[in-house]
Amino acid sequence: MTLEACYAALGGDYKDVCGRLCGERLVKKFVLKFLDDPSFGLLRDAMEAQNWGEAFRAAHTIKGMCLNLSFTRLGTSSSALCEALRHGYTPEAEPLFRQTVEDYEATAAAIRAFRTEEEGA
Amino acid sequence: MKNPINRFLARSLAIICAICIGVFGMLAHYLNRQSEETISQLGNIYMAGMNERISKHFETMTEHRLTQMETLVTTIPKAYLDDREALQNWLVYNAQARGFESAAYYYPDGSMEMLYGGEVTPAGPQDFLNSMQNGESRIAVGFNQAGELITLIGAPVEVDLPGKEDCIGLVGELPLSYISETLSLDEEDSIIYSFVIRKDGSFVVRTYDAFRNNYFERVQAMYSEENGKSVETYISELRQAMDAGEDYSTIMNIDGERRHIYCSALPNSVWYLISFMPYGALNESVETLGTRSLVSALIGCVVILLSLLMIFIKYSRLSWAQMQELEEARQAAEQASKSKSEFLSNMSHDIRTPMNAIVGMTAIASANLDNPQQVRNCLKKITLSSKHLLGLINDVLDMSKIESGKMTLNLERVSLREVMDSLVSIVQPQVRAKEQSFNVFIYDITSENVYCDGVRLNQILLNLLSNAVKYTPNGGSIQVTVHEEVSPKGEDYVRIRFLVKDNGIGMSEEYQSHIFESFSREDSKRVHRTEGTGLGMAITKCIVDAMEGEITVKSRQGEGSEFQVVLDLERCTEQEEEMILPDWSMLVVDDDQQLCESTVSSLRSIGIRAEWALDGESAVKLVSRHHREHSDYHIILLDWKLPDMDGIATARELRRQLGDEVPILLISAYDWSEIEEEARAAGISGFLSKPLFRSTLYHGLKHYVSADEARQPRPEKPVADLSGRRILVAEDNELNWEVASELLGSLGVELEWAENGKLCVEMFQKAQSGWYDAILMDIRMPVMNGYEASDAIRAMDRPDAGLPIIAMTADAFSEDIQRCLEHGMNAHIAKPIDIKEVARVLKKVLDL
Repeated sequence: MTLEACYAALGGDYKDVCGRLCGERLVKKFVLKFLDDPSFGLLRDAMEAQNWGEAFRAAHTIKGMCLNLSFTRLGTSSSALCEALRHGYTPEAEPLFRQTVEDYEATAAAIRAFRTEEEGA
Repeated sequence: MKNPINRFLARSLAIICAICIGVFGMLAHYLNRQSEETISQLGNIYMAGMNERISKHFETMTEHRLTQMETLVTTIPKAYLDDREALQNWLVYNAQARGFESAAYYYPDGSMEMLYGGEVTPAGPQDFLNSMQNGESRIAVGFNQAGELITLIGAPVEVDLPGKEDCIGLVGELPLSYISETLSLDEEDSIIYSFVIRKDGSFVVRTYDAFRNNYFERVQAMYSEENGKSVETYISELRQAMDAGEDYSTIMNIDGERRHIYCSALPNSVWYLISFMPYGALNESVETLGTRSLVSALIGCVVILLSLLMIFIKYSRLSWAQMQELEEARQAAEQASKSKSEFLSNMSHDIRTPMNAIVGMTAIASANLDNPQQVRNCLKKITLSSKHLLGLINDVLDMSKIESGKMTLNLERVSLREVMDSLVSIVQPQVRAKEQSFNVFIYDITSENVYCDGVRLNQILLNLLSNAVKYTPNGGSIQVTVHEEVSPKGEDYVRIRFLVKDNGIGMSEEYQSHIFESFSREDSKRVHRTEGTGLGMAITKCIVDAMEGEITVKSRQGEGSEFQVVLDLERCTEQEEEMILPDWSMLVVDDDQQLCESTVSSLRSIGIRAEWALDGESAVKLVSRHHREHSDYHIILLDWKLPDMDGIATARELRRQLGDEVPILLISAYDWSEIEEEARAAGISGFLSKPLFRSTLYHGLKHYVSADEARQPRPEKPVADLSGRRILVAEDNELNWEVASELLGSLGVELEWAENGKLCVEMFQKAQSGWYDAILMDIRMPVMNGYEASDAIRAMDRPDAGLPIIAMTADAFSEDIQRCLEHGMNAHIAKPIDIKEVARVLKKVLDL
């Protein structure tokens, strides 16, 4: 699986990210690093604890990372979640959070698949 | 206009007028009366004085004569008392010496014995006799022998005269003129004349114009009533006064003239002196006085009335103007509230329609869960309705934001080419759906990049353009034109004129006058089918105003509308990418000459020589001529829509003549995909989307630079050196930090990482002054956020507390940017981190 295919699988803009990060080397480095980022765990914990302020910040951080990595799909859902939580809890937050979880899982799965292949190669 | 105030004013004006006239009239009348009374009193005093003087004079004169006569009697020497002859001679002598014309003895029977002169008889013999018998001297009137009136002076004799023992008195005769003279009755230069009458009214002396025997007769004949006093009353009053021996004064009308009458008794006689003073002279002055006072009263009255009237008119005008203003304000308020309620009802309707669709489609979808095709269809419709609903709500929010003055412009570098390109691609589907002809013209644009709020600019143009599409029927034509002009704001600015023109249904004049007001939508059946909030134009106008621009509209019903937006935008002076292409010769074919010229000049500016043609046939001729001369054009730009022979047909003809070598590019504002197949088949090699900016041309044409023609890229301008700069990055997320560190590291910048705002503040505090050149600050961080950190740093008391702080956040709303600036930050970079953007901003804030 190439990095480009990985991007296609996770709903990202490969061309854009390569242009911005000046080539595949850095992209690969950061994409792999994405799996280690604690923000998603923070988001999940905060949502469970109904700590909306913390959840907003975590969603915002995820949005920032997605923008940097051009993860369009996860970026869109985390951004929507972020807006829903900006001024505290709103009922939309729940479905948006589920959407974010779904997109995150898909993104993480794609990256994991890519990593497995990289390591195997 | 009838209103209570005016009625009240008119009524009070009338009342005040009446009061004024009444008061002044009474005043004039009273003054007149007063002056009349005064004059009459004056007359009285004067006449009394006159009469007294005359009586005194009369008394003196008569007494003189009476005394003469008495002394004549009393001084008879004793010697003559016995000698009758001598006495008579002495008496005659002395009487003559005293000027008596005749003299006589007077006997108790009233007979007289003449001493000398002609016989005389008294006019009132009994009165005369009575007086003489009582031993009183008397002056009286009598007749001489000729029957003429004369004056008689009688003095009693108490001694017995020799031979005349019976004699009781001596009588002397004087001419009548003596009395008149004494009484000064005939003074012609005097305005006063007098009569002397007896008690019974008979004239003693008739002077002046009296010809009757009796004064009372004269009175009856000539006098008329005055001041309610009848002639009879006058006579009886006069008689009473005579009986009582009192002076009497009154005013009567004689011969139509008011005269003052004064009557007093004359001494030494039974006569009465009646003097008259005509009011003529007095009257005149009195009347003049009266008239004058009346006139001045009238003038005063008129002046007061006029000033009152003026005040009233002024006041009523003022109150009228006030009423008018109130009325206008009321109407404006009513209009506003009407618009709002109309808007509410429209909005409710407009919201309900998509809402109904959403509800209905949701119901249908739930009922058809096992039919994915149906569900998909429903979801599609729900999406459309939701989008529409969202658009409506966005408009309303936008409007309320603008109306509450919260709109901020986010000035950024904007490429007009990108704006126009995105605009064209947004409207293309709508234009295609309505089969409208659509064209974009760009003229003389030298500054493609300007500073402007791109989102808002897009909103303006999209609004105008989508209105044009909406209100132009199928098959109509829509045209967007962009001009650049010299800006009056100075060299750093350009004036950009956008024209959006259609041949749609147009607008009524009346509607055009308030098209830019909130909540307005032309109320006619034609537009009822078209949905919208009626806020679009108001929002557009507000944005244009905020950009200090101008928007105008020209429209005629049934002929179309033309909107013009003029904006003065600051040129973006940043170095643009150097755009130079090889020294080609090109042909531009378009039916708009101005566009051809503008495109040719744009091409020249990127190093290409170009010629132009206005239609397919002349293009074919030009091309074949060049072909014959073996100087083929390198590239041909061909408009799709051309008169007679369209772009495709022209291309086919050109290919036939030229073969396949020369690239022919189609230029059009339409979507290329629609016609691609047909165009490719006709031999067209590519497509350039209108509008044709310099950069559009450059980027579109540079693919055709062959390897050998490609010049060595010029050595890039040395990027301002950022190496060695030390930058503190506050960022809570490790991955984001690493991205920043990798990217900025490539610029040679030294980076230090602070994991949150508090750490950032501490690191800055610990570092020596000037250690950091700038701070890149994430906003959303745990412990202390970016705003607080920025505030803390700016509040520090150290020389570098003002170092550049650049916000770096995933939020890119203009409000966020505004807030960053409010918290003392210098600039804002939106994530994702774009190295070029970061370098640009860094250079800017570091003044490199």
